[in-house]
Amino acid sequence: MKDTSLIQRKDGRVWNTSIVTMLIVYLCIPVAGTLAYSLCQEWQGTILPKGFTLKWYAEIFSDTRFLEAMGRSLLVSTITVVISLLIMIPTIFIIVLYYPKLERTLQILVLLPFAFPGVVAAVGLIKVYSSGPLAISGTIWILIGAYFIVVLPYVYQSTRNSLRTINAKDLMDAAEVLGASKVSAFHSVIVPNILPGVLTASLLSFSTILGEFVLANILVGGSYETIQIYLLSMMRVSGHSASAIILIFFVLVFVLSAIILKLGSWNSRTNVSKGKPKEEDR
Amino acid sequence: MGRKGAGTNKIILLALTPFLVWIIAFEAVPVLSMLLSSFQSDNDQGFTLGHYITMMTGPIYQQAIKNSITIAFFSSVAGTFFALFCAYSITRFTRRRRDQLLTFTNMVTNFSGVPLAFSYIILLGSNGMFTLLFQKLGWQVLGSFDPYSWAGLTIVYIYFQIPMGIMLLYPAYYGIREEWREGAAILGASNRKFWLYIGLPTIMPSVLGTFVILFANALGAYTTAYALSINFNLLPIRIGKLVSGDVFARPELGSALAVLLAITMLLALYINERMVKLTRRR
Amino acid sequence: MSYVRIDNVSKKYNDLAVLKNVSLSIKEGEFITLLGPSGCGKSTLLRAIAGLNDIDTGSIHVGDKDITYLYPKDREVGMVFQSYALFPNMNVYNNIAFGLKMEGMKKEHYTPLVEEMIELIDLQGKGNRFPHELSGGQQQRVALGRALVKRPKILLLDEPLSALDAKIRRTLRNEIRKIQQRLKMTTIFVTHDQEEALTISDRIFVMNHGTIEQVGAPEEIYTSPKTEYVARFIGNYNVFSHSEILEAGMSVIPQGELFAVRPEAIVIALDNHTKDYTEATFMTGMGWVNQVSVLGNVIRFDVDVNGLKLTIDALHDTEIHKIKENSKVAVAIPLTECKPLNHRD
Repeated sequence: MKDTSLIQRKDGRVWNTSIVTMLIVYLCIPVAGTLAYSLCQEWQGTILPKGFTLKWYAEIFSDTRFLEAMGRSLLVSTITVVISLLIMIPTIFIIVLYYPKLERTLQILVLLPFAFPGVVAAVGLIKVYSSGPLAISGTIWILIGAYFIVVLPYVYQSTRNSLRTINAKDLMDAAEVLGASKVSAFHSVIVPNILPGVLTASLLSFSTILGEFVLANILVGGSYETIQIYLLSMMRVSGHSASAIILIFFVLVFVLSAIILKLGSWNSRTNVSKGKPKEEDR
Repeated sequence: MGRKGAGTNKIILLALTPFLVWIIAFEAVPVLSMLLSSFQSDNDQGFTLGHYITMMTGPIYQQAIKNSITIAFFSSVAGTFFALFCAYSITRFTRRRRDQLLTFTNMVTNFSGVPLAFSYIILLGSNGMFTLLFQKLGWQVLGSFDPYSWAGLTIVYIYFQIPMGIMLLYPAYYGIREEWREGAAILGASNRKFWLYIGLPTIMPSVLGTFVILFANALGAYTTAYALSINFNLLPIRIGKLVSGDVFARPELGSALAVLLAITMLLALYINERMVKLTRRR
Repeated sequence: MSYVRIDNVSKKYNDLAVLKNVSLSIKEGEFITLLGPSGCGKSTLLRAIAGLNDIDTGSIHVGDKDITYLYPKDREVGMVFQSYALFPNMNVYNNIAFGLKMEGMKKEHYTPLVEEMIELIDLQGKGNRFPHELSGGQQQRVALGRALVKRPKILLLDEPLSALDAKIRRTLRNEIRKIQQRLKMTTIFVTHDQEEALTISDRIFVMNHGTIEQVGAPEEIYTSPKTEYVARFIGNYNVFSHSEILEAGMSVIPQGELFAVRPEAIVIALDNHTKDYTEATFMTGMGWVNQVSVLGNVIRFDVDVNGLKLTIDALHDTEIHKIKENSKVAVAIPLTECKPLNHRD
């Protein structure tokens, strides 16, 4: 009995390892292919690429249109994320702690964007903002407006979880009994403690906006060219340059993910009561 | 708080206004205007059900809906199927390794849209690496593969469905307790029988829920198909053309199609929530 | 004279009355405990005193001051929470200094106060530690120090020990009591643990369904419960009615409707050893042992006396060890220990 179960377990490990290896290879192929394409002189009619070069990267970085597009994308993401945090953290805090009955409503409002794919959202937005008093389509403002809604679920989820793990209600009570007003308790006790968790959401939102295409394409298109729009037009001109852009974009996302991961582990280390106490009780 | 002063309440509500204004401007009003416009006739402002009738009877729209459903269905079946195995294998690794794998998988989900379409062309396009490789190997069926066919598009969709499926599905495996497995083994059940009678029934709701989410995800996907070729007659692409195309713009009809898509998404989310609840209750 | 005075405080959540016209008064420097099961209103009352919950009617006075309508920050109370509620982003020093800083006190003024407090709570040299680097017991001491450093008029303790394990709970309980006595701090302690309440308090307020059921010193509460609720909650009291004793065929029937007897007050002996207890001061009867369980220093017998179920605790000795399950036994209840209860429906 014991022997067979051991063999079974070993088989299981071989099976799981091969599945996961195949998965990694499969998921890496497109990335690897793009990387190879961005680093070769030529890849036409041959199985393997020919000639190593960095000239596509050099070209891209001296291309003002690329730099401008990148700048626009970074600008939109930064503004949106900052506004979103400034508005959403107090909002979520107030509703969770003082109006818990409204939380269900907040949840629905905030999670609705998950239900509406980009195209659907774009239809309503273009209808309202392409003419009339608020004709902001084609400008950065409509993107900020729309992306704020797009990143709501991330910001909500992480702020909510952070408030829960730090036991915000008790911290507020403690601070108030100790003589703090609500506002000073919020900024000296609540904000510093939820910041790591909220930062994770910001980075996630940031990379989501950098990769967003549908809304950018339908709402502003060429009149406010973001990195994704530029990439698509570049794809039709030079494959090598396009692949270099993709790689740069991907490295950026990779770095952001690495930061998220680091923050995540730092978060769990500083958690109030979850971590193993370092000192033993006498 | 003593007895809550009306003043405090007012200040708190004031803090919620920016959020409310934003939600109204960029979520509520656009959604409502989309809904209203789907019932408005093309030129005047009269009420009509015409767009819904056109949508259901016009061959081009029928075709778009049919195409979208077909590709969403097949790519979700395949995505769920592969994710089922991959997610299981991932859960069998140590915690550290598992987290690394999940982070990797999650990161790959960023490689979708325009970058994915691009890498697909350089790998499986008419001059792509794999196409040439298959030709050299004499695998004519694969070598003469048409990247712009429906089969081709389905393959691209499957690529982004698998990692998403894994992320949705892996928590379900933690619902299967090690004790059940041990209990079943002691009662004489083989590994295969355990999965047949206990394992699969337990995760079945999650599997269905995942399928539904993937289905909705594929149904709303716009970018990949758009970047490959604007000529795929898919529901999201059709909507995009109707609202932003200069010549063929028929925003009211586009709205009707978008409403259909939105309702499908809401339905999918609802089914998923029910399914997740079903798993949790066990 | 009374230092803290609570008059007719009521509170409803939706339609549920959590506090029903509660009134109580506490002397300066007194340590009192609000004791009761969860949902009895004890925490609501404590939080109302702190100003963290509002109340529907009634008033709260501390000293000569009416604090009913004050914000928590203006009430001059100190509070320790069940979850400690230490600020995770601040070290021990800054947690303790927080309240003083909020008063606008200058660094050179509060530093000696904080250091003195760190010494009082016995955490010398740990001022730079963050809460997550401390054990549960140490965290709770920091919480205590943080509450005391402002020298509040009253100290409120909301189940401060319930998250700790038994051994530390006992040590810390004694320490809290010592510090409280040294500072002569008026203290209100909330707990659901009767042992804790009995060892630590000057007076105990037993609460039930939003009302105070009985007030008294610990020994008074323990030996003379006034109602069935208190009797059952405080110890494993045997509670029985007049008709039950009648049916059991006990030798003497005392005056009253409902009675409570502590399990250790009842004498138990094997059938043939009963002569000593036949005097008029005992109520005796014969029964059968249903179950014998060893609870550490005492042995607990569940005895059936013609349908009257009694729980009896006895110390270990050779005679007692002869009593087994299904033994026929004699039981004797001293009439002085048979406490009549206020009848409640």
